[in-house]
Amino acid sequence: MMSRSDDPSASRSNRRRQFLIGMSAAATGALAAAPAHAETAPTQRHVTDAPNAHASAQARWPFYGKHQQGITTPRPAAGMVAAFDVIATTPDALEAMFRALSARLAFLTQGGMPPELDPKLPPADSGILGPVIEPDNLTATVSLGNALFADRDWLRPLKPRRLQRMTRFSNDALEARLCHGDLLLQFCANRPDTTIHALRDIVKMMPDTLVLRWKQEGTVPVLPAAAKGRAESARNFLGFHDGSANPDAGDAKLMQRVVWVGEGDDEPRWAVRGSYQAVRIIRNFVERWDRTPLREQEHIFGRRKASGAPFDGRTEFDVPDYARDPDGRVTPLDAHIRLANPRTPSTARNLMLRRPFNYSNGVNKAGQLDMGLLFICYQADLEAGFITVQKRLNGEPLEEYLKPVGGGYFYVLPGAESADDYLGRTLIEAARAAPSPT
Amino acid sequence: MKPQHLLAAGALAAFLCGPAAAATLDLVEPIAAYKIYVSEKLQTLVTDTKAFTSAVKAGDIATAKRLFAPTRMSYEAIEPIAELFGDLDKAIDSRADDYEKAEKSPEFQGFHRLEYGLWAQNSTEGLAPVADKLMADVTTLHQRITDLALPPEKVVGGAAALMEEVAATKISGEEDRYSHTDLWDFKGNFDGSQKIFELVRPLLENSEAAFVKKVADNFDTVDTTLAKYKDGAGYQSYDKLTDGDRKILASAVNTLAEDLSTLRGKLGLN
Amino acid sequence: MSTEKSAAPRPSRAMPLAVAAAAVLVLASGGLFYYATISKQAAPADGATRVEIGASACTPNELALPAGRHVFEIHNASQRPVEWEILDGIMVIEERENILPGFRQRLTASLKPGTYEITCGLLSNPRGKLVVAATAASDAAATAGPDLKAFIGPLSEYKVFLVMQGSALVAATQDLVAAIRRGDVARARALYAPARAGYRAVAAVAGRWADLQNSIDPAADYLEKREQDAGFTGFHRIEYGLFAGNTTEGLQPAADRLLADVTTLKARLGAVKLAPDDLTQGAARLARRLADGRIERGENAYAHSDLADLDASLAGLAKMARLVRPLIPTAAADLAKQLDGRVDAVRQALAALKSGDVYPSYERVDAAGRRALAGDFRDLADTLDTVSARLSPG
Repeated sequence: MMSRSDDPSASRSNRRRQFLIGMSAAATGALAAAPAHAETAPTQRHVTDAPNAHASAQARWPFYGKHQQGITTPRPAAGMVAAFDVIATTPDALEAMFRALSARLAFLTQGGMPPELDPKLPPADSGILGPVIEPDNLTATVSLGNALFADRDWLRPLKPRRLQRMTRFSNDALEARLCHGDLLLQFCANRPDTTIHALRDIVKMMPDTLVLRWKQEGTVPVLPAAAKGRAESARNFLGFHDGSANPDAGDAKLMQRVVWVGEGDDEPRWAVRGSYQAVRIIRNFVERWDRTPLREQEHIFGRRKASGAPFDGRTEFDVPDYARDPDGRVTPLDAHIRLANPRTPSTARNLMLRRPFNYSNGVNKAGQLDMGLLFICYQADLEAGFITVQKRLNGEPLEEYLKPVGGGYFYVLPGAESADDYLGRTLIEAARAAPSPT
Repeated sequence: MKPQHLLAAGALAAFLCGPAAAATLDLVEPIAAYKIYVSEKLQTLVTDTKAFTSAVKAGDIATAKRLFAPTRMSYEAIEPIAELFGDLDKAIDSRADDYEKAEKSPEFQGFHRLEYGLWAQNSTEGLAPVADKLMADVTTLHQRITDLALPPEKVVGGAAALMEEVAATKISGEEDRYSHTDLWDFKGNFDGSQKIFELVRPLLENSEAAFVKKVADNFDTVDTTLAKYKDGAGYQSYDKLTDGDRKILASAVNTLAEDLSTLRGKLGLN
Repeated sequence: MSTEKSAAPRPSRAMPLAVAAAAVLVLASGGLFYYATISKQAAPADGATRVEIGASACTPNELALPAGRHVFEIHNASQRPVEWEILDGIMVIEERENILPGFRQRLTASLKPGTYEITCGLLSNPRGKLVVAATAASDAAATAGPDLKAFIGPLSEYKVFLVMQGSALVAATQDLVAAIRRGDVARARALYAPARAGYRAVAAVAGRWADLQNSIDPAADYLEKREQDAGFTGFHRIEYGLFAGNTTEGLQPAADRLLADVTTLKARLGAVKLAPDDLTQGAARLARRLADGRIERGENAYAHSDLADLDASLAGLAKMARLVRPLIPTAAADLAKQLDGRVDAVRQALAALKSGDVYPSYERVDAAGRRALAGDFRDLADTLDTVSARLSPG
């Protein structure tokens, strides 16, 4: 187990402090949570590091803050995205929805006791977490889709400039029932039961404003805490480490550049402190993949399968030197990692923070396993980020084993900063301030 | 817990924690009135089914198609009661996907088998025995319910059950997949649910004013939305329902299902 | 409690008098056994509340009792057969009919707190007063309340039955009245029994409204001037005209009034608030009332259509029995079977009297036959009483 002093990252200490503040603000379980989380947090520095097996159910992330949680927050074992259609058509109705949603999410992420009702009535809570709702590291991240803006005259002028309806890439086979939505909720927690509980709570409490459209759950393999050094990146369902080259989420400056929309960006004022989110449900043809020679698999990815190291490196965190390999003799030019991140000065602005989960849904009509990657990434510029990267990946050899079937683009709301605030406030205020369109 | 969480939880409790009193004999009148409503619907169902099945047996495809949806409406309105008899509900209203071999299953009978023949095959061939069986089953249903003392919890619970059913298996348009007459069914389901709500409404009007208003408003939303698709005495094809209106209906139905799920408890029937 | 009193039509015409002929019949047949609860002896000292009905008033004329179950012993000290009733406004709570002069009869009533009226002999006599005071137990019962849930379904269904029968009664009465208006005696005679059927089927509840009962169903024998009495209205007035006079002449006012009365009855049936006792005790009370005199006496003195009447009564009783049956606990399965058996026995007894598909004139049923029929109804009443006690909520 790493002690705190083993970790040189100052930014991580900040994050840790922030986390502790969140805990102490909560009335229940704070004392119990502190030691438990002290054990687990240090080993998981990067969002895509494999989560620790001993994560505590009492641990919680603060709900209020500049930014929403669930983006630079270390990724726990269970993730879920759920897309909704929003019924509200007026600023008042939308504000009421945002306020109600914020209140529910604040409760769910901090935990507590649901009200006890007369047993003649349906219970207030599904009860799947027991009588006391433990926060279990739950984060809830609210983002808005293109349709929410496009379908409302008064919101249209306020649409983040790069927010758009996800269109088909060459290898996509998008299914309408798995795409888009007015609002996306991302839930992440130590246990899948916690994310399911959160979703059921929202579905039960807000049927008059939110209509569920689609959802996808995912998991990340849990590993015992590393004895020393940096934790491994989690493996995807193709057996490869995923996230080795992810930017350091503990580096606030880097995150401000890569992930968060800032004051100086050419985006609506209300959108500052938010982020673009791309979600993709990418089916993997795992049977076929498992019948592919190991060397071919490794060439398709551009990494060693066992270690995750690039062909010219020793560990997964070593950086491949493409400058020395212009013809792709070491790492093929069309290898996945090389197309995704060519590591040239000009492609530095295409960086994004990936936070994916693996999913496994059952069996398709042909009797093949329906599993793959619930890809989620965040960036300050959707076009420079995901869209550019995905265009570079068009036609990559890996496509033979992949089929993106769903997802969408969303804009993550700025954080609610205090109990008096609510998610979406800046947007509502901007809508009220704007002259109504003629 | 932070104060605002307590507030959120408190607001929730205030809304859901209405008095769940013991059931009283005040329910006798609403349930008697509902029984009369059911009896009238059943009489209509028997009459309409007679005309519908006669058209099928006469090979009059056009008339049979015209009578299919209006005939079903009476059944849909009283579905919570009709479903008390599992054998008949299965025989009258099961869908192809209730059976392993779908449309090819010999057990696939009733309204939807006739619908399949009329629309998917545009033929009445082989439908005469199905029509006779449907007529017999509907008649039996009428007889069985005539003498039945309706269980109050089924009646009151029926308001939510109807919305639950629409939310779970109908909003998708899978109920009348060959004829796309789903909006007629919706109307029947909504009317049936609303009837129950209106009958018990006087018992809640004082103690549960906010609840009563919310439910009534959602029924209004449904009425307004469905009214847009009115076509003569009936409704347009389900294909015509816009995505926006489908969402509005889905939201209203989900909210009604959620709110009406407390109705039994509020009336002390649990 | 008595808020309806002022609005209630005051029954003023139907003077219940015992029929001399009936008394003769009873005496002649020597069949006094059915007056098992009647005694000429001095009242036993068992806590029963004694009331003496004199020529012009009750003694005492005012009673004060705590809430709960009470046994009343009614002594008819007048020269006329009388009826004794406890009324809540126009609602009959309990009654004993046909108490012969000099006889005593008992009745048991479960009384809730409130102020009631008592009919004391002749309707022209001032009514007595019964004040029932609340007790700790009655207060507790009022607040805690019995588990009534099980009764909601059966009572609802009974309500539906009442409403349907009420509609049928009005429709059948309209037909009868139309035939009278046309002067079609034959048709009117044929429609008399069918019109009464709806009334008989709901008699268990219709009997609660003294005003309507006295207007719809008074028998001439209970009235001072018999057929010539101004209070001789309703079905039997029409029956008298059609069957004794073989004419529709002069019947129109009575016919119109009957139609108005049954229409009012239908509305009251639609609005009536039913309680569990209305089903269980109501059925028992009706069966006993039929058994204790009416069957042996006969009620349709001119048409002799009593078997059709009893058939309709049975329909009402059977419906009530069918509805309470599922409430009988499984531990008392024998009681449920017994109830089935008793209903069946009445049904078979009536069926046995049919010639072909129709009921013969009641004149063809002799005293022994009537007594046997009364016995079947009494057995049913006894079983219904047992069921009622078993189901009594709280």
